[in-house]
Amino acid sequence: MNRTLTSICFAVAAGWCLAAFAQEAKVETVVGGLSNPCGVAVQPETGHVFVADSAAGRVVRVVDGKLEEVITGFPKDVFGKGPFYDIGPLGLVFLDKNTLVVGDGGFKDGEEYIRVYTVPDAGKPALDFDKDAKSKSGPLAAAEGVVGEGNLYGLAATKTAIYVTCNGDDTKGWVAKVDVTGSKLGNLERFIPTKEQVEVDGPVGITISERGEIVVGQFGENNKPHDSLLTFYSAKTGMKILNLQTNLYDITGVAYSPKTKLLYATDFAWMAETEGGLFRLDSDPQNAATSLKTVKIAALDKPTAMAFAPDGTLYITIVGPKKVDENAPKEGKLVKIAPGL
Amino acid sequence: MRRCVFAVAVLLLPVAGRFAASAEPMLGQPPLGLKPLTIPADNPLTADKVELGKQLYFDKRLSRDDTISCASCHDPKKGWSNGEAFATGVRGQVGGRSAPTIINAAYSDMQFWDGRALALEGQALGPIQNPIEMDMSLDEVVAKLNKLDGYRAAFRKVFNTDVTSEGIAKAIASFERTVLSGDAPYDRFKAGDKTALSEQAQRGMKVFFGKGQCSSCHTGHSFSDFSFHNVGVGMEKEKPDPGRFEVTKVLGDKGGFKTATLREISRTAPYMHDGRFKTLPEVVDYYDKGGFNNPQLDESIFALKLTTQEKADLVAFLTEGLTSTSYPDIAPPKLP
Repeated sequence: MNRTLTSICFAVAAGWCLAAFAQEAKVETVVGGLSNPCGVAVQPETGHVFVADSAAGRVVRVVDGKLEEVITGFPKDVFGKGPFYDIGPLGLVFLDKNTLVVGDGGFKDGEEYIRVYTVPDAGKPALDFDKDAKSKSGPLAAAEGVVGEGNLYGLAATKTAIYVTCNGDDTKGWVAKVDVTGSKLGNLERFIPTKEQVEVDGPVGITISERGEIVVGQFGENNKPHDSLLTFYSAKTGMKILNLQTNLYDITGVAYSPKTKLLYATDFAWMAETEGGLFRLDSDPQNAATSLKTVKIAALDKPTAMAFAPDGTLYITIVGPKKVDENAPKEGKLVKIAPGL
Repeated sequence: MRRCVFAVAVLLLPVAGRFAASAEPMLGQPPLGLKPLTIPADNPLTADKVELGKQLYFDKRLSRDDTISCASCHDPKKGWSNGEAFATGVRGQVGGRSAPTIINAAYSDMQFWDGRALALEGQALGPIQNPIEMDMSLDEVVAKLNKLDGYRAAFRKVFNTDVTSEGIAKAIASFERTVLSGDAPYDRFKAGDKTALSEQAQRGMKVFFGKGQCSSCHTGHSFSDFSFHNVGVGMEKEKPDPGRFEVTKVLGDKGGFKTATLREISRTAPYMHDGRFKTLPEVVDYYDKGGFNNPQLDESIFALKLTTQEKADLVAFLTEGLTSTSYPDIAPPKLP
């Protein structure tokens, strides 16, 4: 019997068929003073929130509402053609309590790595991004007919692999992969040419569904409205399973609530900043195979990444108002929404 | 205030076969290689409406002096463009940009080189009202067409109204939605016919999707992302055409123009938004050199260092591979 494509219908989230409530979520600032923060991860066991303070070239943690440097010295690059954004370290993900993986964004495409660190306890001296890295995988260098890949924006980990969204090769839009065997990391390899499968640029947000599919938020073109996609890929083959139109502008983060199993996305909305925010992604019963419905949970000024804590608290990094003057105050923030999503 | 909704977790439904994004009937399936069309719910595609739209499209009476129709600048015999660097309107007035092809415009959410109109319905009335194209007010064109019994009867049949500007837009958009090109040698090759492309075109295809970086923008089934990119064309001028920037006022959009489809590219010369290149080898040479550098130049534009053979192969792919034998060479209809 062909079980693959005919009659199977299954839910990604265990919240299927449950009634839920869309609330006007209260957004609280955890800490400000960040420079284009682009990554966030919650440390297992301690619950400390780590942020890629990208334009400052560092990874910080929040302790008692204050920033503490954890890894410093990352170089910077520039993203965009106006506005321009300085970027350094991008994606963050913990493999266990002490092992943090960081994606590069401050080097040229084809010269970037994911770097693995054993993070020091709170209060200890910061690490150097290069010499204190426990290991690194990459780069995805240029080769005959293939341009170098880079801007390692989103990281998602399973017990056997780390998946990395990349934004350097506009012909392919790679999700890269690193096999993980115990504590040993393999090479960073090109895995899913998302653009070939969905015809839209820019895999950015990434998470893993409960069933183990790779869930990717496709950013799309920054000057084209409503072209962001949510796509499910097989972790085994890298092939597209389901591709959904979202009507969002530029998805930067996707994550499942650990409590309700509902799926959320952050929308940067490059060309329409007032439209950006946090959205819940609901199925569209009438067009379940082609699109989904979005429910705006909170308006946010250029959100870049999101991560749930085990208790359901959602942490989001936002760039905030864009200042032309380089000496302007740092407007980036880490914000949170209390459990309940 | 709390808004209660019944939220359902995202369903993973296996995707089998094609889907129509609209429940409205379509006039047949799109040609091989193309995706199903999304038909606006408020403008279902019907045979009568398409026929009416075709008449309007070819009718010069939509212009002030009865000299210009949509087809004047978007001529099926000239790749649904006009074969000239710029569009020419009433009284011989010449515009500042080339006439983009209509082919597969149905798939573009935003119309015109700068995307200032949404969907085909949003585009259709623009040239009619443009003083250097057809130079008619909507009131004038509606009144003019309402004097023609044939149009009044057709509008009654299709829209159950007299001639209206909304009906004109919907009918022309419906017709344009049928101007599709697929089923090219590339599509047949991709579908499994390994004899559909010559060896040279196959080599060119490899350049196109690899070293040539063409698929950075010319991506997907219509070989266009229908987005906007600054490829350096025209940026050498003292006052460059601002392109997409004119619409968005976002700095990064300066000099950005919509990616043209490459379907039927051999029929749509001259090329680029200002029609500056008469031949495809000229276009390839331009990109090979990395375009004209400027602060908003797209990241995908850089010196490619293609060999002479690679450039020839690439042109072979574009011409041989993307030219369809089922090209929509639609003849002008009998007008009311």
